Amino acid sequence: MADGDTVEATKALEIPMLLEVPVGPQHPALHEPILLKVYASGEEVVRVEINTGYNHRGIEKLAEKNTFYKDIFIVGRVCGICNTVHANCYVRALEHLLGKEPPARAKYLRVLAMELERLHSHMLIEAVMAEILGFDTLFMHIMKDRELIMKAKEILTGARVLADYQMVGGVRRDLSSEKIERLNKILDLVEPRLKYYMKLFEEDVTIRKRLEGVGSLTPYDITSHGLLGPIARASGVSTDVRLHDMYEVYSEVPYRIVVMDGKDTLARMMLRWEEAIVSLEISRYILKNLPEGNAVPDEKRLPRVFPEGEVYTAVEAPRGELTYYVMSKGGTMPYRVKIRTPSFNNIINSGFSYIGHTIADVPVILVSYDPCISCMERITVVDFRRKERKKLLLKDVVRGRV
Amino acid sequence: MKPALLKEVIKSIFSKPATIQYPKELTPVELDARGRHYPDLSKCIGCSLCMIECPANAIIMKKIPEGYEAPKRNPKKIYPSINYLKCVYCYRCVTVCPTNAYVTTSEYRLGTPEPIFSDDLSLKTLVSGGKSD
Repeated sequence: MADGDTVEATKALEIPMLLEVPVGPQHPALHEPILLKVYASGEEVVRVEINTGYNHRGIEKLAEKNTFYKDIFIVGRVCGICNTVHANCYVRALEHLLGKEPPARAKYLRVLAMELERLHSHMLIEAVMAEILGFDTLFMHIMKDRELIMKAKEILTGARVLADYQMVGGVRRDLSSEKIERLNKILDLVEPRLKYYMKLFEEDVTIRKRLEGVGSLTPYDITSHGLLGPIARASGVSTDVRLHDMYEVYSEVPYRIVVMDGKDTLARMMLRWEEAIVSLEISRYILKNLPEGNAVPDEKRLPRVFPEGEVYTAVEAPRGELTYYVMSKGGTMPYRVKIRTPSFNNIINSGFSYIGHTIADVPVILVSYDPCISCMERITVVDFRRKERKKLLLKDVVRGRV
Repeated sequence: MKPALLKEVIKSIFSKPATIQYPKELTPVELDARGRHYPDLSKCIGCSLCMIECPANAIIMKKIPEGYEAPKRNPKKIYPSINYLKCVYCYRCVTVCPTNAYVTTSEYRLGTPEPIFSDDLSLKTLVSGGKSD
């Protein structure tokens, strides 16, 4: 071709200069098995695909194959961190089916177990966030103090993690006055630590630089994508099942809903510290005002056969609204148990929030949603929009697939 | 600017380590924590309710072996055997037992490469009851 000749182009090869970075399912920056396919243009994230299904165990089907009472222990194993809320939601469904009302003392003890759980769950995710930021010393310190709450849970329920504490018509072990004293001592130790960490997250330059303005969600985003729990509350959307439903004794305990307007990752983390302090206050109140009476039902005398009916119950898990739908057709086994966990909404619907941030921010944003993969993976939903235009990736060009 | 955690770190350097040197040093657990449990065969009536109710299917009923005299209250001469590696320590068997035959302990050191069962512990209760030949 001679110089100066012009040739009209007939074909254009469109090469999006995208890098595909798989984050997970096994990844040093993630503590949960989830695959985030991050498409980045340079450092900037342009698209995120969320792939799940690495932790599917078929618990809903298992629940149908076992009796109502066995299922109390099976649903507690959906998630280790929030096992008492799962059990509570299911047990309350069974109580609605039977038309049974637990005694007041049992209700108070259930709330105490759930609030201790919220406390240690929030501390865990704050610690993980510190680790993701590269602040391992802080991770160790928070985990050390979280161990105190695990001890409190052991004193109350008999096990550090899997409480197996709830039973139809009450709880499975009572709390003696000596134990109440010990729990109070533990809460006294934990409170100054929570306030210290809260101050630390508020003032530390490194933490602020990594979290401030990252992963902002407007109230419109929250409502349009159905995000729940602390994520919604950190964006100014006041949603809390404890307040709306007033289940168990939330109508009696002094409880304030924490709502923040920061909208970003920092706001979500600060909100969790604030909520942990509220949980601690609720626990203190319960230990002080525990009603007298028998909280432990005789499990040998509980009815084995359940009447026909459908029940839908909700609790506020540490990650947001958790709902159970239990359908009984009579007999000893449920016909259907449907579990909808908050992580299912929060993780799958949040792909949009990574866009525009850098690759280094992806784990930070994900952790700020407090993902709980074992919770959400009982069903696999694949709902990615089909691409209409065929695009070629840079790696395909390099590999000669043009 | 001074790092906010500096004071905490200096304090930690001079304090006792928070780590527990397991297994040299045992982890402190509550006395009533849910640990290894086994049926007391002098109380067991062989009703199989614990096997039916076990959420993990960790319990099977076995015949009381030769050389041990079964108590009269156990006409079927069977006893529950717990597979500790399958057990989830929910204590459902303990709470549903009609004769409260289960002995509970807070023993948590159950890590072993071979499957472990409650048989030895259970049959010992029969021997100590003076019922054996």
